[in-house]
Amino acid sequence: MTSRIVNRTNSRDILSALAISAALLWAAPAHALTQAEIGDLQGPERQKILEDGARKEGKVTIYSGMIVDQALRPITEAFMKKYPYIKAEYWRADSNKIVQKILAEARAKSIVADVAESTSLSEPLIKANVVLPFNSPQLEAYPADYRDPRRFWGATRFSYFGVAYNTNMIKAADAPKSYEDLLDPKWKGKLAWREGSDSGNLLFITNIIMEMGEQKADAYFQKLAQQKIVNFTGSARTLVNNVMSGEYPMALNIFLHHPVISAQKGAPVAALPLQPVPSLNGTVLFVKGAPNPHAAMLLIDYMLSKEGQATLEAADYLPAHPDASTNAILASIIPKKAGLKENFITPQKLFDLNDKAEDALKKYFKN
Amino acid sequence: MTMTPAAWDGSAAPAPASAARRFGISPLVGILAALLLVFLVPPTIYLVQTSLYTTNYDGSFDQFTFRFYIELFTNPRFFNNLVNASIYAIGSAAVALTLGTLQAWIVERTNTPLRQYVFLISIVSLGIPSVLYTVSFLLILGKAGPINQLLMELTGSATPLLNVYSMWGMVIIEGIDFAPLTFLLLSSVFRSNDASFEEASMMSGAGISQTFRHITLRLATPGIMALLILIFIRAFESFETPALVGRPGNVNVLTTDIYQSIQATNPPNYGQAGAFSMALMLIVILLLIWYNRLSRHAEKYQTITGKGFRPRAMDLGKWRFLTAGLLVLMFIIMIGLPVGIVIYASFLPYYEGVTAKSLTQFTLANYAQVFNSASFKGAIGNTLILGAATASLVCPFTALCAWLAARRHRGAWILDQLATMPLIFPAIVMGVAFLNVFLHMPFALYGTLLSVILASMVRYLPYGMRYSYAGVLQVHRELEEASSLSGARQSTTFLRIVVPLITPALITCWLFVFLLSVKAVAAQILLVGPRSQVIAVTLFDLWENGQVTELAAMGVTWMSLMTVVSTIFYLIARRYGLSIR
Repeated sequence: MTSRIVNRTNSRDILSALAISAALLWAAPAHALTQAEIGDLQGPERQKILEDGARKEGKVTIYSGMIVDQALRPITEAFMKKYPYIKAEYWRADSNKIVQKILAEARAKSIVADVAESTSLSEPLIKANVVLPFNSPQLEAYPADYRDPRRFWGATRFSYFGVAYNTNMIKAADAPKSYEDLLDPKWKGKLAWREGSDSGNLLFITNIIMEMGEQKADAYFQKLAQQKIVNFTGSARTLVNNVMSGEYPMALNIFLHHPVISAQKGAPVAALPLQPVPSLNGTVLFVKGAPNPHAAMLLIDYMLSKEGQATLEAADYLPAHPDASTNAILASIIPKKAGLKENFITPQKLFDLNDKAEDALKKYFKN
Repeated sequence: MTMTPAAWDGSAAPAPASAARRFGISPLVGILAALLLVFLVPPTIYLVQTSLYTTNYDGSFDQFTFRFYIELFTNPRFFNNLVNASIYAIGSAAVALTLGTLQAWIVERTNTPLRQYVFLISIVSLGIPSVLYTVSFLLILGKAGPINQLLMELTGSATPLLNVYSMWGMVIIEGIDFAPLTFLLLSSVFRSNDASFEEASMMSGAGISQTFRHITLRLATPGIMALLILIFIRAFESFETPALVGRPGNVNVLTTDIYQSIQATNPPNYGQAGAFSMALMLIVILLLIWYNRLSRHAEKYQTITGKGFRPRAMDLGKWRFLTAGLLVLMFIIMIGLPVGIVIYASFLPYYEGVTAKSLTQFTLANYAQVFNSASFKGAIGNTLILGAATASLVCPFTALCAWLAARRHRGAWILDQLATMPLIFPAIVMGVAFLNVFLHMPFALYGTLLSVILASMVRYLPYGMRYSYAGVLQVHRELEEASSLSGARQSTTFLRIVVPLITPALITCWLFVFLLSVKAVAAQILLVGPRSQVIAVTLFDLWENGQVTELAAMGVTWMSLMTVVSTIFYLIARRYGLSIR
């Protein structure tokens, strides 16, 4: 015990000595680094500067849409193991709530979040000017599509969306095979989708508009509205749990890996991709005004690293790192592997089509 | 007016005193009124402003517009939701009143065994957060819950028969949730009825049920009517049940639409939330006016007169076992089942109804998770601070206001009016209003526990006023006059005579404000940040995030803590003969 403490003190002294010399060597003026400068850090001294700063900060807060017991808790715990002097706190919410919270914090000049991570939150945050660009050596391994040219985000994970149904209530042979099949009157009152989230019913509508064109999509929605779809308001994971427990026989536009994970554990649920399969990438962002910018950058690095991505893989998520493998059981829902047509919707495109999708939602499904 | 002081010695500065005197307000009243206005005016102004301006992407106000009001009145959804809210409020008021009236009559007017425990149980049940209560009924009545399992077993149906995510589900759950409070408020109404009317009825040959219907219920009618409107208003502005039960079933009401506009729309539609809030507030104001009219005519039915008034219980004979059975049945439905299912779920890895298989999977993992989680400990600490701070700020303040108003200090009626004003803000509307105040503050207040406490303090002022008033009215002026005549100053009289005499009322006030403020979700959900999480909001988030079994473990832990608090209070109350209404 004693020797470990001594060791740690020693290494801390050495590290801070290194950091001080690094700071002196650094071309920047002698003042403490601004947050923008921390984001822009590059080169061999970066890690030491970050670690030294993070030691003083001692904590970091992430807002994320990852499900707590599956991915968010494991990845923050693994991060704390790597950096025992940083206490990582998380707050889980759907993307919209995260965006709302960060905008409110920025307005009130009372910023708590250091890092934001989820699907479909990058564009609103960038547009509202509440995030800063950053460099991460980890991003070098990623293909260009998986990182923002403006350096505002890096891709953390992929999500493929489709149908989940309760296998006790619906036989595989009877399950819908296409979006048209969803219009069958036999599904009336049996469908649920997520309301109030960009990756919920809005994504479903966006995907249909992109696939069919506005006019045909309009006619489709008119018919789909007859099915009296339940507007579920919890997380996508909760919706799948409700399908498993028999609360709703079938859910539209959920994260396809969720039912796969549960089916593996024996739950009566199946994942059903409909073509084209809409897909989004999760992104991680550096919040402007973050109270713990050094620790924030370390956490972002970690989430993008092969090591951090491995915790996502272990949680049966779909990591974005090109070297990370995905669990074999997920092959059936990854369009490239299953030979299905995919519609990859970039954050920008999702954002651009948001108003049209909102209009359709209001017109057909909200009254 | 010999008792009216020229000035509140010590605390009032002379300059404002002379200015205030001109307007017929004593300086102390002026200071207190100013304090109240500081907390009431900004949220009101920001709420009105929010509904009249478009909001920029960063959240600042942009252009003046009537758009949100036009949208409101041209949108069929608004009227649809209005109808929903009305049906829901009437239905749940009816359920709560039926249960509450029956309980209050059995406890107050009969010699039913076990009746003395109903008070304790009702007070304990006040400590259960509404979210937890609602969730427990969803676990019981949901498609995967034991009731549907039983019905499917009995009827041989392959699909669940009951859909709790519907209007009837909302009505039943909200009604049962309100029943304990209804009972507590009604029991005093029944108690103050003179038993001689009932005795006369019985002696004239009327049976128990006839006497109950024609005498007891008739005499209690104004009390019950006033309560009916009160519950109607509370249900109309309630948030938890509509959010958790109604929204998944597409049954929307005004409060859930307000929440939706801010939390589930990207970017948040503050204007729409503002317009909806204003509409909801207007409706509540109209209802409150109606309520005040009704309760003003209550004296027609007064039965406590100068002649020897002794409330007496009615002897039910052997029927008292039936009423005891009814009490037990109500206890099972209102407390036993919901608490039971939450405890049961807290030991499961995942909830899938009550099955033989789940019994073999019992685990302590949820409790381990809860006790090891720093955020849970933080939430417990925050919630206790929130409740204690709210109660400690509200009760002494309203006691002073109530005393000044009761002793007719010049202008003190203003304090009464101002302190009761927050009643017109439904909880979620108050959340919207304070959210906007905190977002416009030049310093960082949003997301802090202090901000949540401030909003909570304003929200519970009227409740504090009600309890303090009751205490102050019991103290006769003579005692204060004796103090003054002996040469005591006004402040000495207040601190040495009034305060000790109204201490029991203050303790009651403290506990009720504490219990009410820690169980609420609606007023806090828009204000808390990750650093100021409170239990009720955490439970709400856990439900939305699907962590049902962890929610259950957290709920059980919190309920145990609150039961200890309530029981201690109940014992103190019994020991010192405090009024617990």
